[in-house]
Order: sequence, then C-alpha cells, then structure tokens
Amino acid sequence: MTDGRQESSPPPPTERRPAITLEGIAGSPGLAVGRAVVVDTRRPGVARHRVAKHRVDEEMVRFDEAVQLAAKGLHDVASNVRTSSIRAELSILEAYIMMVQDPSLRDDVERHVRIDRQCAEWAVDTALHEMAEHLRAGIDPYLAERSHDFEFVGDRIIRALTGRQRALSLPELGEPSILIAHDLSPAETAGLSKKTVLAMVTEVGTRTSHTAILSRALELPAVVGVRDILSTVANGDLVFVDALRGRVTLNPSAEMLERGEARVERYAAVGRKLRESRDRPAVTRCGVPISLKANIELPSEAGIALELGAQGVGLYRTEFLYVNRDEPPGEDGQYAIYKRVLETITPLPVTLRTFDIGGDKFVSAFQAPPEMNPALGLRAVRLALARPELFLAQLRAMVRASAHGPLSIMIPMISSVRELRSVRALVEQAIREVDEAGHAHAEHVPLGIMVEVPSAAVMAEELAREAEFMSIGTNDLVQYSLAVDRSSRELAYIASPFDPAILRLIRGVVTAAQRHQRPVAVCGAMASDPLASTLLVGMGLRELSMEASAIPAVKEAIRRVNLANAEAVAAEAMQQLAADEAEKVVADAFAPLLADVLDAEFSAA
Amino acid sequence: MNEAKGTFTVKNRLGLHARAASKLVQLASSFPCEVVLSHGGQAANAKSVMGVLLLCGSKGTELQVEASGDCAEEAVERIGELINDRFGEPE
Repeated sequence: MTDGRQESSPPPPTERRPAITLEGIAGSPGLAVGRAVVVDTRRPGVARHRVAKHRVDEEMVRFDEAVQLAAKGLHDVASNVRTSSIRAELSILEAYIMMVQDPSLRDDVERHVRIDRQCAEWAVDTALHEMAEHLRAGIDPYLAERSHDFEFVGDRIIRALTGRQRALSLPELGEPSILIAHDLSPAETAGLSKKTVLAMVTEVGTRTSHTAILSRALELPAVVGVRDILSTVANGDLVFVDALRGRVTLNPSAEMLERGEARVERYAAVGRKLRESRDRPAVTRCGVPISLKANIELPSEAGIALELGAQGVGLYRTEFLYVNRDEPPGEDGQYAIYKRVLETITPLPVTLRTFDIGGDKFVSAFQAPPEMNPALGLRAVRLALARPELFLAQLRAMVRASAHGPLSIMIPMISSVRELRSVRALVEQAIREVDEAGHAHAEHVPLGIMVEVPSAAVMAEELAREAEFMSIGTNDLVQYSLAVDRSSRELAYIASPFDPAILRLIRGVVTAAQRHQRPVAVCGAMASDPLASTLLVGMGLRELSMEASAIPAVKEAIRRVNLANAEAVAAEAMQQLAADEAEKVVADAFAPLLADVLDAEFSAA
Repeated sequence: MNEAKGTFTVKNRLGLHARAASKLVQLASSFPCEVVLSHGGQAANAKSVMGVLLLCGSKGTELQVEASGDCAEEAVERIGELINDRFGEPE
C-alpha cells in the first residue's frame, strides 16, 4: 500500500515539467482542476505470522469481528447510494455483503488458523486465493471473472483486520482531489463523495462500465480508459480533468490552468442554472409546450433520463440486445427488458425502435455475406423483413410490453410505402400470436417510422397516411441525402443538418405529418444542439428526442425563444443557399440570447 | 431425522452465477435443515454463496440437492422450483 507516500506532503510542482495531455473516454461529464491522488487498488500486503496454540481462539474472534466490520462498511456504502437509477448496481454490493459473511469461507479460515496456525489475515488470503484459483481453472469465462469478486471480498476483511476499516480502500483525502487509479470497483465508486473527490480518472473502463454509470449517477466527473496514466502521473501533480471531451492534462502550463479554471467556473455556474431548469416546463417564452424526450440504449439509462427532465423515451435503441452474443435474444428475455423500461418511465410514453443493425454486426448464426457498403446494404427493416421469424420474436416481445405502459413501435430505415405495409402485416401477426399465447397487451400499439432515407422524406405525404407517427433521424438523413459517409473527417464540412436540402426535406415531412395530424419528432443529433433546436421549433416541430444529458440545455434554449421569432428566423434560414449561411442566420438571431447555454462546455456534454 | 433429496438440471443461460447463487443461498438459509448441493464429485453447503459459486454449475449441470433436518422435504422442493424456474431469469 502507498499510505506512507500519501502522508508526506505533495512535492511542489516544478515549473519545468512539460504539460502532457492524455486521451480517454468521457465517462461522466464535468470539469475539474486539482491535485492528483494516485490510488493503488492492488491488494495490500498481507501479514504472515504463525499464531501460538493458545491464541487460536482469539484469532478466530478477531476474524469474526473483522467480518462484522467489513459487512458494516459495505452496508454503509450501500445505504449512501440512494439514487434509484443505480439500484441494479447495488445488487453486487449485496452479494459482497453475503460473501463477506459466508460460512464456507469461515470454515476454510478456521481450518487454516487451527491446523496451519496461520494468523487471520494470512488464513483469509490463503482461503480466498484457493477459491479464486479454483474459479479461474474452470472452463466458464463468466465464473472466472468472478474470481475478482472473491479477491475484493478478501481485501475487505483483511483491511478490517489491520484496522484500515474505512468504508473504502481509498486513502484519506485531506483536501478535495483528483482520484487516479487503474480501476475502481462499483463498491469503491459508490463510496466516493463529492466533498473529497473533484473527479476521477481510471486506466480501464468504457462509457457503459459500472464505474462510469455510477459516477454519472453521483454526478462526479470521470474520464475512463486513459491508458498508462499511472506511469506518467505522480501524487500531488496538478491535473486538469476535461470529462466533457474525455481528456486529462498533467502539469498544465499557467496559461492552460487559467483557461481551465475559468471553464470550471463557467461550467459550475451554468450547471446550477440548468439544474434549476430541470423541473420547469419545456415551453417557449410565449408558452407553447415542446415535448423533450430521451434517446436511450440501456435499461439503466431510463431512470437517469427521468432525472434530467425527459418527458418520455422518444427512441429506445434495441441493437445492444443483438450484438456480442452467440444466439439472438428470445422473446421472453426481450420482454423482460422492455417491461423494465416501461415500468420505469410510465405514465410517460416510450417509443421502442426495432433493431437497426446490419448483417455484419449481427449474431454469428445469421451472419450475412460481407457487403461493400453496409450502410446501403441489408440492415434495419430490410434485414427484419428478410428474417421474419427473428423480427416476429422482437415484435411479440414489444406487443407484450405494451401491457405495462404507453408504448409505440418505430421502424428504422423505411424507404417505401410497400415496406411499411409488409411491416404492418407482421405486427398484426405478432398481435394475433400474443393473443393466442394468452398474454396481455394494450388495446392499440401505434406503429410509426423513422424518416432517414431520402425516398421516405420525398414520399412523406403518402407515408403519413399509413404511419401513425414519424421521427426524423437527421444523422442518416444527412448521410444519405448528401452522400457523405458519417465517419469521413475530410467530408465532415459537407455533412451539415443546416444544409438547405436537409431543411427542405425536414420541412416537407413536418408539413405532411401536420396535414394528416400525425405526431412528428426529430431524434437525431440535430435535436440535441440548443441552437438547432430553436430552428426546428421554428420549422414546426413540437417534439424533440435527444441524449438525456442534452435535455436541460435544450430546454433552457427553448424557454428563452418566442415562437413568432423562431418561425421568422426559420423562414429566413430556409431561404439560404448554403449550410453555413443558414446556420449564420440562426446564430445571429439567437446565439447572443443563448451565449451561456451554447458555451463549449455544453456542446461537449 | 428428516432427509430428502432431488436432482435438478440448471437451465438458465448463465448458470449458477453470482446473482443466481445469492438467490439460492437466501432460499436455503430460510430453512432450519442442512442443505448440500453436489455435482461431479464436488459438494457445497447450499447456505454459502462462495461454496455454491465454486461448484461452477453452468447451464445443463445436473445438480443434486440433499437436505437433512427439519423441513428437509420442503427445502428440496422449493430449491428445485427455483432451479427449474431458471432463478427467475428470462432465459
């Protein structure tokens, strides 16, 4: 353990050390400047001495007391985490509490103490080491992964035995600091407090790892996946953490530091304002309500979306159910997941989108031959219609979930009326099959489409007759209409949603939907940009769906704008002949009004 | 002394993983009798999460449940139901 190092005062940073910026992944948004505290999350050294025969009973009493302490510490961590959105992550803490008090573990420890005369620390280490080895030797990779849990449990008890029985294996943080570690377990992350931790940085992890999800729930800025930072950073180093862009700067220059501190201050001020806006209604300045919904991908994001003020889920992506698995998900499994999302969001509505992936990313059993251009290939609704048995299983699961709250089904990548009709026939078949199986469902399940293929935008009038709602996916609409690959950096300048052709297509879809009294929304990245959202409202949109984290900023923008103004600006923007000119019209009109909301901090968050 | 036993096949996809093992242990712990799980020559106390995890019961494993003491029969029956119900998991 590095306790000795941490107690000594941090060395003053020398002026000459060069600034180093390391790239990682923004795990939880925020900015912070502070001193690094490097946490060694490896296991502490374990005392090894033999106990005399007459002290054996005493040693077991020490063990039992340590178990109680460790269990209490974990209980404390669990009760500190009250946010409902991370209840799922808490189940692992409960499993740890059971494991710490496990009777088999106690039997093994007792054997090592009584027969081998090992001290309690040593006996715990031996027992857990044997168990972890046993799991690792097995053939099941999932169980092998659990050996880490065993090591964590042993660590808790050993720390309790040695008097380091804090709730966490983290050092005492005297002043608020930047925590830097190879990795933090969910239990360790859950125990962090905003009072002592300004931000955290880890070498491993992804946006969807437990650690990142927990840090978002705790509103702690986090950059994860920063490779090799431990070999570069030292305790006491000054660190600027940019968890909006996923960057960490060590030893920033005086000028960088000044800029960084100013950004931290601005971010905090705007953040306070936006949090206040969370519970305010999403209406324009003149009182026209605009429905702001969330795009989500994981069931656990549903609770977070509600906390950020979402008025429902406008786009639930189901792709994650299909990737990285050996066999396609079954109807029952999908139903359980959809039901969970519905139950979290109800009485607000949820729009489930059927799978939007190509054969290339699909489960191995259905792998299609590789295509030259997957974006134009067998994907989304095309794949669904080519594999009706797979699609029907998803539709039945969705129909069944409609018993648990207001639910709509949305079909991605529709390019013709004929496709929509084929889908409708399958939805009707799915409803019959659900009835035959005796499952409950809502009386009516609305069926709508994504408008993201140019042909669908052109045929919006005809599609609006038959689709019960429409949602414009601006990202794909831009890619397909302007013939620019979404991932091309060199051509990114062409791929603007402000392009006059795109605005005209959007306008056409909105007009068609209005004529047939169909709800119409925008669910692409355009909806999450505060400036673009004012343009969309001016073009007639009354529903926007976006990443949940963008909702407070977009809501604030909409609350400051008058509908009549927005309409006038939109009309002028639509007359421009180039994307940058259209964007300039909107920016000239509204950017001064939205200066704080448009600050770089928020476009990145 | 009451004794009861039964053999059940693990059906859920992930097998006896941490959450399933926790459920089984919580259920077994609610009975006063002793409950032992075994398969492939290995045995574990059904009231120990770690013991149950160490059985490495993956999908398809035939698990023997033996109970002795008060409520032995009920314990075996209820544990069998939990295993057959895939530990309440969808697949």
